[in-house]
Amino acid sequence: MKKKKIILSLIAIILFFSLLFILNSVFNSHQTRILRLCGIYVVLALSLNLINGFTGQFSLGTAGFMAIGAYTSAILTMPPAQKASAYYLEPIVPWLADIEMSFLPALIIAGLISALIGFIVAAPVLRLRDDYLAIATLGFSEIIRVVITNLQNITNGSLGLKGLPNYTNVWWSWGVAVVCIIFMALLINSSYGRALKAIREDEIAAEAMGINLFRNKLFAFTVSSFMAGVGGALLGHLMGTIDPLMFRFTLTYNILLIVVVGGIGSITGSVISGVIVTVAMEALRIVDGNIDLGFMVIKGIPGMRMVIFSILLMVIILFFRRGIMGTNEFSWKWILESKLFKKRKEVA
Amino acid sequence: MEIKEFLQHLVNGISLGSLYALLAIGYTLVYGILRLINFAHGDIFMISTYAGFYLMSSAILPWWIAFLLAIILTCILGILVEKAAYRPLRDAPRISLLISSIGMSYLIENLAIVFFGGRPKTFPIPAIFDRIITIGSVKIPTLSFIIPVITIIILAILLHIVHNTKTGMAMRAVSTDYEAARLMAIDVNKIITFTFAVGSTLAAVGGIMWGMKYPSLIPLMGVMPGIKCFIAAVVGGIGNIRGAVLGGFILGLGEIMLVAFMPALSGYRDAFAFILLIFILLAKPTGLMGKNLAEKV
Amino acid sequence: MAILKTENITMKFGGITAVSDFTMELEKNKIIGLIGPNGAGKTTAFNVITGVYKPTSGHIFYNKENITGIKPHNITKLGIARTFQNIRLFKELSVLENVLIANHLRLKSNPFSAVVNTPNYVRQEKHMIEKSLALLEEVDLIDVKDEKSFSLPYGYQRRLEIARALATEPKVLLLDEPAAGMNPQESNQLMEFIIKIRDKFDLSIFMIEHHMQVVMGVCEKIYVLDHGITIAQGTPHEIQNNPRVIEAYLGVE
Repeated sequence: MKKKKIILSLIAIILFFSLLFILNSVFNSHQTRILRLCGIYVVLALSLNLINGFTGQFSLGTAGFMAIGAYTSAILTMPPAQKASAYYLEPIVPWLADIEMSFLPALIIAGLISALIGFIVAAPVLRLRDDYLAIATLGFSEIIRVVITNLQNITNGSLGLKGLPNYTNVWWSWGVAVVCIIFMALLINSSYGRALKAIREDEIAAEAMGINLFRNKLFAFTVSSFMAGVGGALLGHLMGTIDPLMFRFTLTYNILLIVVVGGIGSITGSVISGVIVTVAMEALRIVDGNIDLGFMVIKGIPGMRMVIFSILLMVIILFFRRGIMGTNEFSWKWILESKLFKKRKEVA
Repeated sequence: MEIKEFLQHLVNGISLGSLYALLAIGYTLVYGILRLINFAHGDIFMISTYAGFYLMSSAILPWWIAFLLAIILTCILGILVEKAAYRPLRDAPRISLLISSIGMSYLIENLAIVFFGGRPKTFPIPAIFDRIITIGSVKIPTLSFIIPVITIIILAILLHIVHNTKTGMAMRAVSTDYEAARLMAIDVNKIITFTFAVGSTLAAVGGIMWGMKYPSLIPLMGVMPGIKCFIAAVVGGIGNIRGAVLGGFILGLGEIMLVAFMPALSGYRDAFAFILLIFILLAKPTGLMGKNLAEKV
Repeated sequence: MAILKTENITMKFGGITAVSDFTMELEKNKIIGLIGPNGAGKTTAFNVITGVYKPTSGHIFYNKENITGIKPHNITKLGIARTFQNIRLFKELSVLENVLIANHLRLKSNPFSAVVNTPNYVRQEKHMIEKSLALLEEVDLIDVKDEKSFSLPYGYQRRLEIARALATEPKVLLLDEPAAGMNPQESNQLMEFIIKIRDKFDLSIFMIEHHMQVVMGVCEKIYVLDHGITIAQGTPHEIQNNPRVIEAYLGVE
């Protein structure tokens, strides 16, 4: 059975990438951009779900860690000449001026620096009562923006960085997403994943079962920060431009929406909802502009899209609290026994 | 630094502290009863400044009627938010309630962007508040006196209600033990509605005074003060009204003095609150005036 | 030899003294009881022993080692496991997962080995599953191993809590009102069960219980708390005839 599952999963992954290949060649540039965004949001949703959904610690710091990742990777990959011209208010510090590396190491360093900062922040904050964590992480995420805005000779301050190498193609975006999905599935189904879920269910009982609360929470927070950093880096290299305003807490809210829609505590849910919500966000851009019905034009209301999204978040949390998947997961066993559907991705 | 300058900063810090205190009380009351960080509270505060702005701009109403109407509208909004977003989740896990409050906050902000527009608006200050008095060589706007005075009056009324009226006693009962209060035939829902009404009213009073002191209005203006005032409430000891006031003043004075004495760090003004939070909670997890809220095992 | 011993532990919360000068001794392989009216401080005493609270004063010894002030998870690791008065299962997780989680503390690996499935981790995981299944078999819960734990009937939940505590491989087991809510017949089964696990797992047991039938039936020694103070200790027979105990339970006008 286990061998069979692995083979099925491998086939699914191959099929999925073949599909990506086809989509990538038939889609226009706008559509592939959305496809790339989907992969990034899957990574970000998994990051937030790991700490909020699986460990039960309500963190709202994702946007801050994304900013760290995006800036780290941008500074590491931009050619020296471009940096020299971008930092016109104050030149970049010498030790960063001449660095230029390829995407993979930059991406990994981006994740590691986010993880390191996540670790440093979490160590004091995780000792606090649970709901203070939400405020402390939200505040921390805003502090990161303040720091980035003020570190003129490292981040170029409020001017932001333009012309990031356009590395995030479909393969990078979804390649990272698939690695994250597999990693999460393996982690959550391991003994360590069970320990995290135990903390979510009942901290006092978990501790009485010999689970070190602090160490496990710290681990989840650090891994989550790593993933957020990588996701942020991918987003930066997709947008091509980053600035401190891009990483406001509202970005975290958007990712929270994806997690809630998919189901708090479900990997499958985060993946499905990451795709659905991203596509819907783009599709709903029409309500912000004018809609031409041929015989008449409905005037668009700028900002309406986000209103619809916040209403959606409220409706889901009030009436469909479990989201699409609840805490359930896709599994091959379920597929083989029901034989109703055929799905492409996911690992049992 | 000259004594004159210091006095100006002090007065500034006290009036900012007063505004923080008014907002912090709303957080502390709601947290005391529902154990909920009401993320929408900062946005309710924002709405009150816009309500004041539009009612004043209509230019038909005298300023005091405009302000009173703005406060009443904000109070109603606060009650509606509770009824729509929190009441249906009374028995849901706390995380759902927290997400609901974030969703509500997000919704109000996005509606504000659509209806009020993203561009800053200037709050029209009634002439009566727009004077400057000179003491010796120190020039101080009258507003800097009016704000703390109004805050103190409101605080006195609130403390009277909480300690000397039946409703206040019920509020304290619900806050101490929700279930027991329910069993004692206290109408918990009514008390919660009342709490939100009080919190929103205070936020509105604070919001309108904020509008006069810092007249540039934008739809996201409530977010930072909101988060900071929750921190003020935690620093003072969550659930404790006097603690919230203390926290508000520490924060207001701290921020102003940080900028005054260390101008190089002025860019980091917004970080002050969070650093204060972490230090206070590590040193005294229940806040300066808080009681122990340990979970029963 | 005493496997678990407390010396004059006192626990104060603010101005209230929940437990005062509590001294007890649990001999190896014995079953002893802790009784007293509601609010007497029994659960607080358990919480102090298991590290949930650090005592205001006094010491706790386990195998002569001073364990006062050690964190709860480390106390469990040393070999003291407990159950809870108000049942604290991992509700959304399956019965098997509940027991597996209690095995986690004996795992010698790290998260990354677990993710990449190193042979060492795979071997330990396999062992954990076999051990948990055997334990569930032992306590007659094997048929419901895949049910979510909150969906179990009440009696099963109590038994699962004990099984979960056993999975941590304890030497001392602290049971907080295991017979709460049980009828006489169920209580009888529970008594047999407690004696059975004591023998099978080489345990020493300290239990809080209200059901006198259970306490008197299995305990060799009983401590009586009232308002945090130890008002009596002795064999079941001595306790039954102790005027102070009768007074504490029935009240005196």
